[in-house]
Amino acid sequence: MTAPDSGSATITQEKATVGHKRLQIPAIYFALTLLVVLVILFTLGNQNFLSAYNLNTIGNYAAILSVVALGQMNTILIGGIDLSVGGLMSFTSVLFVVLLQLIGVWAFPICILVALAVGYVNGAILTRIKIPSFIATLGTGGILTSLALLVSPLPVVAPGSKYGLLDLVNGNLLGIPNLLLLALAAFVLFYVTLRFTKIGRNIYYVGSNIKMSWMSGIDIVGTRNFAFVLSGFGAGLAAIMLSCNQFGGDPTLGNVYILQSIAAVVVGGTALTGGTGGAVNTIIGALILAVMENGMNVVGVDAYFQQSILGLVIIISVALTFDRTKTAMIK
Amino acid sequence: MSAAVLELQRITKRYPGVVALDGVDFTVYENEILGLVGENGAGKSTLMKILIGLIQPDQGTYRLRGAPVVIKNPAHAANLGVGMVFQEGCLVPNLSIMENLFLCHEIGFRHFGFLSKRKMRDAAHAALGTVKVAADLDTPVSETTPAVRQMIEIARLLWLSKLYQQRNPVLILDEPTTVLTDDERNTLFSIATELKSQASIILISHRLQEIVETSDRILIMKDGKRVANIQARHAGIPEIEQMMVGHAFAADRFREDEQIPPGDQVTLTLENVSKRGVFEPLNFEVRQGEIISLVGLVGSGKEALCRCIAGLEKPDTGSIKLAGKRLTPGSPSEAVRAGIGHIPIDRRSDGLALGMTIAENVNLLVLDHLKVGGFISPQREKKNALRWIQDCRIKAPSPSTMCVNLSGGNQQKTVIAKWLSSKIHLLVLDHPTRGVDVGAKDEIYRLIRQLARTGVGMIIMCDTLEEDIGLCGRMLIMKDGQLVNEVNCPPYRKPSPSDIISSIV
Ligand SMILES: Nc1ncnc2c1ncn2[C@@H]1O[C@H](COP(=O)(O)OP(=O)(O)OP(=O)(O)O)[C@@H](O)[C@H]1O
Ligand SMILES: [Mg+2]
Repeated sequence: MTAPDSGSATITQEKATVGHKRLQIPAIYFALTLLVVLVILFTLGNQNFLSAYNLNTIGNYAAILSVVALGQMNTILIGGIDLSVGGLMSFTSVLFVVLLQLIGVWAFPICILVALAVGYVNGAILTRIKIPSFIATLGTGGILTSLALLVSPLPVVAPGSKYGLLDLVNGNLLGIPNLLLLALAAFVLFYVTLRFTKIGRNIYYVGSNIKMSWMSGIDIVGTRNFAFVLSGFGAGLAAIMLSCNQFGGDPTLGNVYILQSIAAVVVGGTALTGGTGGAVNTIIGALILAVMENGMNVVGVDAYFQQSILGLVIIISVALTFDRTKTAMIK
Repeated sequence: MSAAVLELQRITKRYPGVVALDGVDFTVYENEILGLVGENGAGKSTLMKILIGLIQPDQGTYRLRGAPVVIKNPAHAANLGVGMVFQEGCLVPNLSIMENLFLCHEIGFRHFGFLSKRKMRDAAHAALGTVKVAADLDTPVSETTPAVRQMIEIARLLWLSKLYQQRNPVLILDEPTTVLTDDERNTLFSIATELKSQASIILISHRLQEIVETSDRILIMKDGKRVANIQARHAGIPEIEQMMVGHAFAADRFREDEQIPPGDQVTLTLENVSKRGVFEPLNFEVRQGEIISLVGLVGSGKEALCRCIAGLEKPDTGSIKLAGKRLTPGSPSEAVRAGIGHIPIDRRSDGLALGMTIAENVNLLVLDHLKVGGFISPQREKKNALRWIQDCRIKAPSPSTMCVNLSGGNQQKTVIAKWLSSKIHLLVLDHPTRGVDVGAKDEIYRLIRQLARTGVGMIIMCDTLEEDIGLCGRMLIMKDGQLVNEVNCPPYRKPSPSDIISSIV
């Protein structure tokens, strides 16, 4: 074969690192622009929006939401969804506070292990019973909510003697709140897993084309279980962070995080159809939601109106990222 | 010469990093079949997408039956009598044949506010009659063969142009034959030739034989430019090839020169492998570096056999061994781990993660080797991808181009690169050169020979019998689920196709 330069293998430019450029490009720009615009609007609406006190409020909420959302993202990336994060958070929250009383610091690792196990069970149900994750996790979420209420039907207050342990979350390191550091650590963990590990990459392959993945020998079951375990981890960690932050557990605290975590993932530009998106997207999505949630109150948007604005943002984000070739019919 | 239906002038279309079309002039006359050929990525599909308004050109003018037009979208184009049958099909799978035929135009069948099913059925029968399809109108399209689907699309386009009273519609067939059997292909061309009296047809294909036989005029594109416009009766395939790629090809098309005798070691052993109702118990071996070609008509069972070898299907009896080690039947992951590769025929649905980059697709099987300190190294990933992009001549601006933006042939090459880059001992190639241009074909032949030299055994099913004979060292002929004949194909003493056809049919 002669003349490979006859135009067939032209490598004209080599920008952007491999593996980083996905459909997310336009979506992530949309998300970033939205974030900046929101911050500017809210600041114009009320100068206190950027006050240290308010930023702290936003930061706390964003930190917790981003940890649940980072977990949720994995199930969405493989083309599923995890509706059990709410129930899991509620359950972990009351369990954590009860265990804190009984076994002290061991409550942290045990609650994380429980959350990982729940994630694994979610994955196993999908494999065994072969039903969509949408339904399976709706079911396990319901069961977990009941379990939470069984452990404690009312909010439980953390015992004052254990406040020292709560400082693991509520304290500071070099002036930076531990809550933010934990969220940052979770982000690094998920980012590295998705970008630089084989199993993380497999999540993308399975989400992009499950048949191709199967034919190429990828362990579909293992990958799916892993994604749901990650989601369990995110929900469990977020529940612990939230319980520490509130000095107590609450058997209903997870409810709002089902929708909020999914919204954060898709608003950040991860496609509901799977295969595209990532940890950076999710952090931006969580920031957008936190800023909106707080900002609309700060500038005094009618509470009845707030939900519809959020709804609108979700629809636009999904419209931008939804891969219509993957669904035979829009239902 | 008859009048021009379509006249496009100086059409330019740029994408980031590529000029897909570079000032192309393009004319279609009434009642002609126009063949359009060119390398993968030459811009054929892009030009056609502009024709039907799926994408807009950056520059250029568009005249339809003499009048300047701006085509807004494919529906608009269809109303003006310009329609396309896509490389990958675009019917709605869950809807029936009839529903697909009249999709969005049912209004014409309204009768006092109700849809008249009877009128619709009559019209559907008439429409399908023009393309000689006799299928149940209520069958969901997902259950029909690719050939029938194409015909439905053609029938729909013809029916629409009648509905909107467009004289001489233009039908675009983008690589229609890649999904067809030989019989279906002949039917398609006889219908196309008949339709010529009332329509113009643009035919895109990488099988130059059928282009030369069917078309009246041939346009050749290269790197987004039109390089030649010739009358088909004066055209010779070698000249067309030369204009497509810019150089001539050696007479030794299949590189028989490089064909090596099989090694001593047995790579793959099949013992009594059977699948009820599909193929009878089979026994054969593939040796190191040996290329075996499986030939047979549709229904011979060769496809199912290959699927069994790749672990995609479970045989009912028998054992499949790789280097003496028995494989768990029906497990693709074990087959892949053992070193069996499989290049599927349907690259879009079975071969690629379309929303991911070339690098991510090419590196899928070798991620473990691209790690540094336990983590995938972006540098090594890029390096490996670049190497294979060059080796398989994938035309793309960079390794981080998404596969969905590649031309059909370059997608095929990406799948091939993915398997070649991994350490395999046996490779099943299901029509590896389908939809790729002559230059890339030559490249694939070279890669096949190179693989053989490194000891990889191969089972191939090719597009043409000539290709089978030329590439393989031994040919296994299947008929009605049985191995009926075995023919040796040593270099320079190859059998002729006619010797073999008699045992196939
Ligand atoms: N949406 C897009 N984004 C970026 N590049 C594109 C896009 N569509 C096409 N291209 C590029 O434009 C060039 C022409 O592609 P086109 O699909 O027209 O080729 P083709 O002649 O049909 O090739 P083939 O024979 O392989 O089907 C290719 O280099 C392709 O990668
Ligand atoms: Mg094409």
